[in-house]
Amino acid sequence: MASESPTSERKVVVHLRATGDAPILKQAKFKTAGTNKFSTVIEFLRRQLHRDTLFLYVNSAFSPNPDELMIDLYNVRGLWRNFGFDGKLVVNYACSMAWG
Amino acid sequence: MDLYSEDAARFVWEGAIPIQIRLHESQVTTLPPPPPVQILGPRIGYLPLLVSSIKPHFNDTLPPGSDSVWFEYKGLPLKWYIPTGVLFDLLCAEPERPWNLTVHFRGYPGETLTPCDGEDSVKWSFINSLKEAAYIINGNCKNVMNMSQPDQSELWQSFTKGNMDGYTRVSSKLKLGPFGEDSAVKITAGRIPIRLYLRILGDDVYHLEDVTAVESWDSISYINRPVEIHREEGEEGHYITFKKAMKCLLPEFFDDETSEPDHVFVQREDNDFDAANENSKITGAGAVMSCPEEQKCADLAFVKPHSTKKVNQIKLIRIQGIEVDLEIPFFWVVNNLKNPEYYLHICVYMGSSLNHA
Repeated sequence: MASESPTSERKVVVHLRATGDAPILKQAKFKTAGTNKFSTVIEFLRRQLHRDTLFLYVNSAFSPNPDELMIDLYNVRGLWRNFGFDGKLVVNYACSMAWG
Repeated sequence: MDLYSEDAARFVWEGAIPIQIRLHESQVTTLPPPPPVQILGPRIGYLPLLVSSIKPHFNDTLPPGSDSVWFEYKGLPLKWYIPTGVLFDLLCAEPERPWNLTVHFRGYPGETLTPCDGEDSVKWSFINSLKEAAYIINGNCKNVMNMSQPDQSELWQSFTKGNMDGYTRVSSKLKLGPFGEDSAVKITAGRIPIRLYLRILGDDVYHLEDVTAVESWDSISYINRPVEIHREEGEEGHYITFKKAMKCLLPEFFDDETSEPDHVFVQREDNDFDAANENSKITGAGAVMSCPEEQKCADLAFVKPHSTKKVNQIKLIRIQGIEVDLEIPFFWVVNNLKNPEYYLHICVYMGSSLNHA
């Protein structure tokens, strides 16, 4: 069983990747506190893209709920990526549903 | 002990909460106001799925317009994507029967709640949770994403109708459990998806009857953190106790380098939060302060936040309305008490029971 280092101090690098016809961001990488919620990312993208309806995915598969902590998402992603684990959380975003 | 019991799982599927739902006064346009509705809310279900049953009772009195339906308990808007049983376990320290909820058909609190378009949103959120769980267990969501349309539809229909056999018929194809040596899927090590809800009680709460209503979701910490079970030599994964899993999830509340593992504070009848233990902690702090008299105040101020943190204790762990024994195998808890989307939802009440005086 793995024990974790204190989550409060950890930062998570988020890499935002456009999917489908979604516009590409000028700056696609940013750093956020592990204690922030996923809603931070949603709000950020809404502001950047001026859209209310957005679809966000982690691992090209599921959409975390807005309450999820960034550090939890980051850790879950890392669970299965022992090789080439590049220390960032890739979030795909789309303007229409991409992965049903 | 069998690690999976169909009977236990069936209890979970059939578990329901008697709910009394009143229409919020701001939406009452007729006299007399409509009487409240009584309904059984399945524990594994979601509140928006009750709307089709209750709406006819209130339809005639609603003001013009339309909006998403939402529920409220003592002023707190309820998150629709949390299973009803979890909301009840988390928000009612002492089970309230019937559970008195207020329904709103107007004025959706978009700042607190994510948008909800009725059953479609719930279905989407449910399948999404299933994918997330599949990712944690298997490292990919292929089985869920490749589910055929008829299977997906049967899965959802069985779920909403509380048909466990129909649901199991489809979900067993997803190969997500049960965990254990002799199960169909031999998962003896791995990762188990957990949603943990941590409710912090005030400093002065000693009994669950004294717990006041949750005023804001800010007072509840939500953690989505899998438990990782490695198969270690001489230790079969499925023998890991629930306590060990909880320690892995919340090390800060179980870990105390000076104390033995049995210094875990879970409220039981035979455990009155261990007054002796509190004393030993106070004595411990006293020993640190063996310094000249004039420094005592400063030191006390320094030491206090630390010691306050130390006595944050787990008062109660509740899963599916049950206070789970910490010594039972964790796989038994997961296999039998998980929700249909393969997440184990754990409600934890935290409180500090140290008298600061």
